[in-house]
Amino acid sequence: MGKGAVLETAPFLFYTAFAMLSYVARRVLYMIPVLFIISIISFFVLQLMPGNFTTAFKLNPRFSKEEIARLEARYGLDKPAYIRYWKWIIGIITRGDFGYSMETQQPAFDALFKGRLGWTLLISFGTLIFTWIIAIPIGVFSAVRQYSVADYALTFFGFIGVSIPNFFFALVVLWFLVSVLKVGERGLGIGGLFDLQYVDAPWSWAKFVNFLWHLLPVLIVVGLAGTASLIRYMRGQLLDTLGQQYVLTARAKGLRERVVIWKHAVRNAINPLITMLGMSLPDLFAGAFFAAIIMGLPTVERAFWNALQRQDEYVVMSGLLFFAFLLQVGNLLGDIMLAWVDPRIRYD
Amino acid sequence: MKKFGILGIFLVLWFGVSLAQEYKVVPLGQGEWKDFTVGKYGGYLVVGSLDNPKTFNHHIAQETSSTDITGMLHAGLTEVNPITDMVEPALAKSWEISEDGLTITFHLRQGLKWSDGEPFTADDVVFTFNGVIFNEDVRTDYRDVLLVEGKLPTCEKVDDYTVRFTLAAPFRPFLREIGGAIYPAHKLQHLSRVYNPDADPEALNSVWGVDTPPEEIVGMGPFKLKQFIPDQLVVIERNPYYWKVDPQGNKLPYLDGVKYVIAFSLDTIMLKFRNGELDVYAPRPEDIATLKAEAAQKGIKILIDPTKPLFGTTWIAFNQDCPNEKLREYFRMVEFRRAMSHLVDRQTIINNVYLGLGVPQWSPVSMLSPFYYPDVPKYDYDPEAAAKLLDQIGLIDRNGDGWRDFPDGTTFEFELNTNAGNTIREQTCQIFVADCAKVGIKVNFNPINFNALVTKLLGGQYEACLLGLTGSSEPHGGANVERSCGGLHFWKYSDCEDPTPVAKRIDELFDLGVKTYDFNEAYEYYKEYQILAAENLFLIYTVNMLYRYAYYENLQNTAGFSPLAGALGFAEVLWKKNPNMVGNRIG
Repeated sequence: MGKGAVLETAPFLFYTAFAMLSYVARRVLYMIPVLFIISIISFFVLQLMPGNFTTAFKLNPRFSKEEIARLEARYGLDKPAYIRYWKWIIGIITRGDFGYSMETQQPAFDALFKGRLGWTLLISFGTLIFTWIIAIPIGVFSAVRQYSVADYALTFFGFIGVSIPNFFFALVVLWFLVSVLKVGERGLGIGGLFDLQYVDAPWSWAKFVNFLWHLLPVLIVVGLAGTASLIRYMRGQLLDTLGQQYVLTARAKGLRERVVIWKHAVRNAINPLITMLGMSLPDLFAGAFFAAIIMGLPTVERAFWNALQRQDEYVVMSGLLFFAFLLQVGNLLGDIMLAWVDPRIRYD
Repeated sequence: MKKFGILGIFLVLWFGVSLAQEYKVVPLGQGEWKDFTVGKYGGYLVVGSLDNPKTFNHHIAQETSSTDITGMLHAGLTEVNPITDMVEPALAKSWEISEDGLTITFHLRQGLKWSDGEPFTADDVVFTFNGVIFNEDVRTDYRDVLLVEGKLPTCEKVDDYTVRFTLAAPFRPFLREIGGAIYPAHKLQHLSRVYNPDADPEALNSVWGVDTPPEEIVGMGPFKLKQFIPDQLVVIERNPYYWKVDPQGNKLPYLDGVKYVIAFSLDTIMLKFRNGELDVYAPRPEDIATLKAEAAQKGIKILIDPTKPLFGTTWIAFNQDCPNEKLREYFRMVEFRRAMSHLVDRQTIINNVYLGLGVPQWSPVSMLSPFYYPDVPKYDYDPEAAAKLLDQIGLIDRNGDGWRDFPDGTTFEFELNTNAGNTIREQTCQIFVADCAKVGIKVNFNPINFNALVTKLLGGQYEACLLGLTGSSEPHGGANVERSCGGLHFWKYSDCEDPTPVAKRIDELFDLGVKTYDFNEAYEYYKEYQILAAENLFLIYTVNMLYRYAYYENLQNTAGFSPLAGALGFAEVLWKKNPNMVGNRIG
């Protein structure tokens, strides 16, 4: 009976929640074959790379051919690719074992994520939030004051932000800190997550402040391109929306301009951006990659890149699966959030 | 009870006398150490590192990001004096070589302890060689260098402090090569299938991986591992049981430890050094001007020694077995290779590519090796001589298009590879290609991915390529390259079945060079080999980079920084005037 009462009081809500849940479940199920196909394609694309993990050993005059042959046999690299793929995928399905790193002799997951995943997520999501907090108000401002001096200035900034290469900007920022601001004379460090004396120290207020000091340039570098393009999108979308009849109606009703813009126009203009939000997740990881190398940050992307260079097969594969998974989750989150902000969207 | 206590004291005293520790004294201030001073304790040396260590297992480690660290954790029977480059006693206090040169008996220092306090004995040495190095389960590049005529030496314990090695033939490099890290039997013996048939064959390869608790990694080196935070920091600290003392009897090392700050780009490491966050830095040629400009103000010292080029060589190889038969014919002509050597403008390369920080290389042996012979025949930059040689062998422009042609009238051209991304090599190639064009030789320069290049090189599929090889003091280290059947004899693999007289003679010289323990006799063999190599130009050597090092002046005993000592071969005698200072900052 209790159940019936709930149904009667909120049939629509229940229906929506249920539809949503089944939709999410369906999407998650779809992910599995997609990831499977991605893994097949990427494994065989990986085989197109010349050489393998042992190639680097071959120019070492201290290694004999026999020793290298033994090494190949131990890693199964003398077996055809499809057999290696089969063993790897069976390991994942039956044991949850993603293979091992030939380079560090660790499980592939540890080689990628250990000591990095947390920082990577912090940097990526930190940047995401930073980007939105900065970009949305600026985009709105820019649209509302279209063709003003401020709008032109912001547009100019936007183009620079989109076009400046990430790694170069990271170097410029570090160089600026060292050579122009001379932060070394104030005892401050650059690059990494902390100054040396805090790296192995327990958490404290001073360590946290030091962490923020190191995080700020990262947010600026990683977030710059995203912020700049988001500003452009927001401006464009809002300009479209501001021309709509319901905005005119709202104004005609005598609503205050602030309410018209934020409640009526922005609310609608932001929908496409939310779809983009999901898809921007992998972009963030890619952007953080260059910054991670220059700024010396512990990130999954750099570990992945390192594995790619060393042709550390199973680590590369695990990394690719991780990024593919992230893209899918990002898309799903984008869709769910869209449904949340836009009640017109239904899932059937 | 009291009686027992007194007895205990007596026992301790008695053992204390019989197990007097036979420490090695580093004679700071005397002899070759005359520029060094007795230091004071304290402080961490902070250095930049380009990557994470991949393992803490020294014999498995492959790249410098690992071996720079593991090298500090271990010691061997012998060691190389970083100033004189001569073999000296280390864990072994002395040794005897039998009359026939086949048996070498090492006497170990007594009373030494591992970094965890356990005693060090002959069992550890025998375990290291029989259980680890000679054990085929272990993936180490240390085994092959100990092969004498294809056989490994045998290693046996004579008593607790004496170990005997027996060789299949006399082997001069033995004393140098035997100095590899000794591993602790009490920690690892159960993982070796030689001692424990039930052990996993992979156990000794995966032990001491990057996830190992630091206290498990036990060694005889000046430092022991303290902490590893991936992508951020590696800390090693003083080994309290280290077996070296200064002339005043103070235990070495002086430093509390070394911190390796991991940053992934040299640009960042350079900025960190300038920002006073690192004590030392090996600057690139392009960094020198910046550092010099602020050296006085920041207290930076820059060390560049024109007499100290780095170990290793850079060269252009012509594949004398290359698939293109017409090219092969010319590549096999020594006149052609001499013409090519005449087209390598080494001085311009030094000035423009190495920014003045280079010296021309002529011999396959590294310049710092005691076996280096400086007066080999040299075919230096001389386009006219090159043109003359090319005319002589019939490579002339037959159709007036400006390029020299084969006798059949087709253009003579070859592909030159190097590994893409190495800007120094790419620029060197470009200068060479331009100089070739001046005399009508068409070179198609194509930088390719390193792994692809290695595959091409070792598969004998390339035409010409510019690459480098690592080197050391010991010319025998190049045996795998120079011997006609060596795995890296990539300029003419067919020498193995059908050796030329020169190739045969080089094989002989390499045999003779290791069979005598007499340096002067060996020198004569390697001298002849260097002359043969330089005359025949199997590899056309280009330029060698000079050694460069920069450090903040707070650091003391830096007199011996050199390529001989590796990056931090002097770490055990380095000390800081102000132990609390990192770079030029108190922190």
